[in-house]
Amino acid sequence: MSETILVVDDEEAILFAIREYFNAHGYEVDCARELEEAEALLGFIQYAAVIADLRLTGINGAEGLELVSYVRERCQATNIIILTAYGCPEVEGEALKRGVDVFLHKPKPLPELAQIVFGLLKQKSKQKRNT
Amino acid sequence: MNERSLLDEVLGPGGLSVVFQPILEARRATWRLFALECLARGPKGTNLEPAQILFEYVRRKRAESLVDRACIRAALDAAVSLPVKTQLCLNIHASTLGRDSQFAKFLSETAQNYSVPLSDLTLEIVEHTPYWNGRSFLATLDGLRASGVRIALDDFGIGLSNYSMVLDCRPDYIKIDRYLIKGCHRDIHRRMVIESIAQLAWKMGAGAIAEGVEDNADLEAVTRSGVYMVQGNAFSPPLAPSEVVANHQIRGEYSPLLLAGGKAASD
Repeated sequence: MSETILVVDDEEAILFAIREYFNAHGYEVDCARELEEAEALLGFIQYAAVIADLRLTGINGAEGLELVSYVRERCQATNIIILTAYGCPEVEGEALKRGVDVFLHKPKPLPELAQIVFGLLKQKSKQKRNT
Repeated sequence: MNERSLLDEVLGPGGLSVVFQPILEARRATWRLFALECLARGPKGTNLEPAQILFEYVRRKRAESLVDRACIRAALDAAVSLPVKTQLCLNIHASTLGRDSQFAKFLSETAQNYSVPLSDLTLEIVEHTPYWNGRSFLATLDGLRASGVRIALDDFGIGLSNYSMVLDCRPDYIKIDRYLIKGCHRDIHRRMVIESIAQLAWKMGAGAIAEGVEDNADLEAVTRSGVYMVQGNAFSPPLAPSEVVANHQIRGEYSPLLLAGGKAASD
């Protein structure tokens, strides 16, 4: 069974691009546009990785940080990747403190993003095998 | 950013659809249709199509009251065209009863619009958060009961659907959660819990309903434990409105699967 990734972003174009790219590499991808939608999905589905933007309302929010805490409270095994255009050092530090695996800045070419995600997934499955 | 939130889509035209799952009652050694539970589904093709994700989203948006009202409208709208006239069970969050002071009026007006008597409606209270405004919750409940609406406690036995809810709500029906039902035929402890709930319901003058009865072995076990109203795939999965017609015609009175000669019912 293929692994499933959750992508959380309020920009349709980004959701579309990431979904198509990861689908083509054999991953199932769910997309959420809102924090609450993502949290509802996370309540019932265990994702191998979550790729999330920090701002989901287009204003000054940092809902992505809330999402990180939500995921970490429920599942240590899920990889969390923040992909944002609003990453100041303070926010990045806070995100890492809450349990983000990788903090990336937009724009990020898809193949680069994919390599990072594949690497994380491979690392986690290796750790799983050794425990 | 999103111009239109997913919640707008849920509340918009065609955002919600409804399926109906039969609840059956053992009477005179046959299973008869007792009620139809109206189950809402979110917008087709979205993450919110499955009910569990839809309502988790709704609770996170704190939009229970808005969506509960929309679900009731959609349910009655779909139910009026059914060829079966029976009790309709409608789900409602406890928080809606606590916060929406106009809910009883809304239900009365909506039922009237669809020419459905209030005495044909059962509200199944779904509890996920403590109902913070107890006085308002109980006042709404009293008003509904006085108007002829029946009250059921949904998912009893897990989470916050517990004994305090029984005392506060004095339900007409207690719906035993599927967690307690699943596999009860091979688990004596589950059967002991089911028996105790059935006895409690009987002593309080309420009906006990087993939810999520998936196979004949569990069906037999719940009836032997004193529960004579059941819901689940052992009889029927949730049905689209058009399937309710076909299913009802094919199965007639839902002839007994296990209560041959009424043996199990009288044991």
